[in-house]
Amino acid sequence: MSLAEPAALPVAASVPPRLHIVARFTTRFKASLPAYLLLLPSLVFLALFTYGAMGRVLIDALYQRATPKAPLRFVGLDNIAAVLADPAFTGAVINNLIYAIGTAIPSIGLALLFALALARTNAVTSALRAALFLPVLIPMVAASALFLFIFLPNVGLLDYYIGRLLPVLPNWLGDPDIALYAIMIITIWKNAGYYMLFFLTGLQAVPEDVMEAAHLDGAGPLMRLRYIILPELKPTFLFVVVIATLNAVTQVDHVFVMTKGGPSNATNLVLFYIYQQAVEHYDIGMASAATLLTLAALMALTALSFRTMANREGGA
Amino acid sequence: MLFSRRLMLGLAMAGSMAGALAFPAMAEGPTEIDLFFPVPVDGKLARDMGTLIKEFNEGHPGIKATAVYTGSYDDTLIKTRASIKAGKPPSAVIMSANFLLDMQIENELTNLDSLIAADGSTKEKFLGQFFPALQGNAVIDRSVYGVPFHNSTPLLYINADKAKEAGLDPNKPPQTWAELTDWAKKLTKREGDKVTQWGIAIPCAYDYCGWMMETLTMSNGGRYYNEEFGGEVYYDTPSMLGALTWWSDLVYKHKVHTPGATPGPAVSTSFISGNAAMMMLSTGSLTYVRENAKFNYKVAFIPRNVRNAVPIGGASLIIPAGVEAEKQKAAWTLIKWMTSPEKSAWWSRATGYFAPNMAAYKTPDMVDFLNKNPDAKTAVEQLDVAKAWFATYKTVPVRKTLEDEVMLVLNGKKQPKEALVAAQKAADETLKPFNAETSLKLP
Repeated sequence: MSLAEPAALPVAASVPPRLHIVARFTTRFKASLPAYLLLLPSLVFLALFTYGAMGRVLIDALYQRATPKAPLRFVGLDNIAAVLADPAFTGAVINNLIYAIGTAIPSIGLALLFALALARTNAVTSALRAALFLPVLIPMVAASALFLFIFLPNVGLLDYYIGRLLPVLPNWLGDPDIALYAIMIITIWKNAGYYMLFFLTGLQAVPEDVMEAAHLDGAGPLMRLRYIILPELKPTFLFVVVIATLNAVTQVDHVFVMTKGGPSNATNLVLFYIYQQAVEHYDIGMASAATLLTLAALMALTALSFRTMANREGGA
Repeated sequence: MLFSRRLMLGLAMAGSMAGALAFPAMAEGPTEIDLFFPVPVDGKLARDMGTLIKEFNEGHPGIKATAVYTGSYDDTLIKTRASIKAGKPPSAVIMSANFLLDMQIENELTNLDSLIAADGSTKEKFLGQFFPALQGNAVIDRSVYGVPFHNSTPLLYINADKAKEAGLDPNKPPQTWAELTDWAKKLTKREGDKVTQWGIAIPCAYDYCGWMMETLTMSNGGRYYNEEFGGEVYYDTPSMLGALTWWSDLVYKHKVHTPGATPGPAVSTSFISGNAAMMMLSTGSLTYVRENAKFNYKVAFIPRNVRNAVPIGGASLIIPAGVEAEKQKAAWTLIKWMTSPEKSAWWSRATGYFAPNMAAYKTPDMVDFLNKNPDAKTAVEQLDVAKAWFATYKTVPVRKTLEDEVMLVLNGKKQPKEALVAAQKAADETLKPFNAETSLKLP
């Protein structure tokens, strides 16, 4: 889902004087009718494919079958309780937390580093920027297929080079202790270049005169970074952190292609757990309940970060 | 494709809408039917399928069949289920043979008995065309629900050049686990502690791992699951304990098998590159090995510990539940045509799977082919000892409970016995609702 979607819904509802309520409503409605008409096509699709599906998930989450041939019956919050009690779900949540933190911090750090190094535009930095941005252009599925061969035990590219140094070659995707980290490397490789773009834009907004003044006052590069650049980049940081966290939950293409959540659930992430419940277990109730929990967490996170952003803009 | 997976839960809805828009009621003209088909091995199959369906349509003016590519076996199940839910099922599907039981339990299959009877044939006569090993996955509760389309068995692949180098005779491949262990030891090359060539590779990734465990368990005299009833698996048994212990020994005691879980493509690449001197893999990989191996290779039966026995793999043609009578008839015509000896043989040569129809091997083209490629014969001969592929209520999650534990054993994190006890417990839990409705529903 895109971050812009919620903006389409809110309709201002101030309290008009009682007597004119109908008249006012009609005038207002007349005035905004063209706007609604213009919005109609997107609203229809939004309702059908986003909110319709979410409503359906909400309903599905409340029903369950006791046995395969039994009819669906209303179970209330039982599905949610069952999901929360499922060790596979808690395992997926923990994996997802490790994955989110372990991919967000390094990729944002690298992105900032790249952006600072390549802030000035000339032929060399443009070429390097393009090179660093390249992984973003490769679809995740294709990238995963590539990395599948890089990680191939014994004969893959990685083992071919590292193999001379290590006594025992790790089975990158086949060892539950390593597999999640192998998956994380791909995410970092793929996302760092993308986040770099945001930081590059953020750096453009750092006022040139302030930098110059600091330079004249004798502030070294580190001082300038610490006291001018980083504070100026704060909104960018916030935005990138939100994007990175959302990505950590919604981008699991490489799990599908490379490990299917294995070995022994070591790379099972929340979205893949939902897929397993829906498809492998064929348990729509459980899958919907897990989806609701994920949606709630994502919405809370988004709301929180938007509020922080709004506060900052208002207060600072 | 993966995008739609991500939106899995919206899929059923979206599917119903797309279906409603895309298929206005047909009045006259040929009966239009859809065939969902997966491509489990490589991309060339999609083109071959196009050729096959085009030929069918030219020969049957009353029917217009369209082949719809639906991804892997698992994806095909998802898409079929989504279209059944949406009320617009495809008329025929090439479905992984071990998904049939689960679909039948969920009332998603059309019973084919009446269609067979309408042809004036009998179940016995109809099934008699196919290798007996394939019937177990096609017949449920004594009714026919699937028609075998392309099938496989696991094979032992041997790098003959490396065998000769190690003083072994590739024309007398190992027949027992003891001989295989001995071969694997002789074929493993070490520099100090470091292994530069592995004796044997056996794949273990979700799906393949369960199939290999069934293979090893069966060669050890076991059954893996109850063939007659979908509510039982036999994980915590001596036959499976022996199988898993041997596999684990190959890794940790004899050190002739790479540690950890290795997926199928990694195993075949390892074999092709000479990094593994032997491998156990599906007959479906035979064409790939034939086209890519730069050395002489041999294929052999899977060695036994107690008896020679292997499971089948592959796919059957099914008609989903809820297909209208007219389309059912058209789909049945298509299914019979696709599984006829000539077409069956043609598909087998194109893909590397063996042809389920026994008469296919009597067609002149096939006799020629086997004379030129004697290795393709081994798979067919092994069919004499082949048995059904495990199929239970919720086949995939029940299989996964075992696979997760096997992966732990292959990584040295659990001992075989405790792993199998845990797998059995988890599987019993998953099977519970089905047993509550069947074996434990008492008067």
